[in-house]
Amino acid sequence: MSSTLPDSPLTTYVLNTGDGVPGARMALSLHRLDSLLVIWNLVTVGTTDEDGRCPGLITTKAFTPGMYKMRFETGQYWESLGHNSFYPYVEIVFTITNANERFHLPLLLSRFSYSTYRGS
Amino acid sequence: FFVLQYYKPKLLTCDIQMAAPYSPLTTHVLNTGMGVPGAHMALSLHRMDPSTSLWNLLTTGTTNDDGRFPGLITRENFTPEVYKMRFETGQYWESLGETSFYPYVEIVFTITDHSQKFHVPLLCSFFSYTTHRGS
Repeated sequence: MSSTLPDSPLTTYVLNTGDGVPGARMALSLHRLDSLLVIWNLVTVGTTDEDGRCPGLITTKAFTPGMYKMRFETGQYWESLGHNSFYPYVEIVFTITNANERFHLPLLLSRFSYSTYRGS
Repeated sequence: FFVLQYYKPKLLTCDIQMAAPYSPLTTHVLNTGMGVPGAHMALSLHRMDPSTSLWNLLTTGTTNDDGRFPGLITRENFTPEVYKMRFETGQYWESLGETSFYPYVEIVFTITDHSQKFHVPLLCSFFSYTTHRGS
């Protein structure tokens, strides 16, 4: 199924740096800000695969310039591994001005820290 | 009389900052892109009301020259709940004449043992940021 999904201009990658494994089977969602109503519209809901990735996040057509939010259900993830965590969830809000570029939004995560960066 | 009324709220703010009351929650913003403290960055602390699931604003202000914010919250107010620290990173980078990928950063965290000290730093550059739980 994933091999037939068109290339998404926006990709993510979750790494469990605490255990040194991909952040597999983590629920996540992508939202776009409706600038007129100033509310978040849900664009995609998904779960990372065994490799910590989530192909097919958004289509090139739907990927318009604007403010987006990626929400990772990190609390649920740690709970499913039998741990607690400092962060119940992680939301990363970012601005897309040039939607012709590719954007890679990884999340490197442990129970007590996380980091993200803009890749391509 | 009017002059005194005008200055009264400012004096109260000064008193709070000068007294720097002990806060069990601290932060430190570092501009890793330029190797300097994240000074004069606006930020706000919120607490989730469990009955309404709404965020209540607790504190608002800006970091000092050292990128820190003394007196974030008092020990009495620091109840075990879900908190959110919001950093106005977009505004900060704009004031330095730069653009940033992140218009703001919100870090949501759960306090269960409120007798401990919690340090929630933000290390940020234009295209990355990281946080960790310190003490």
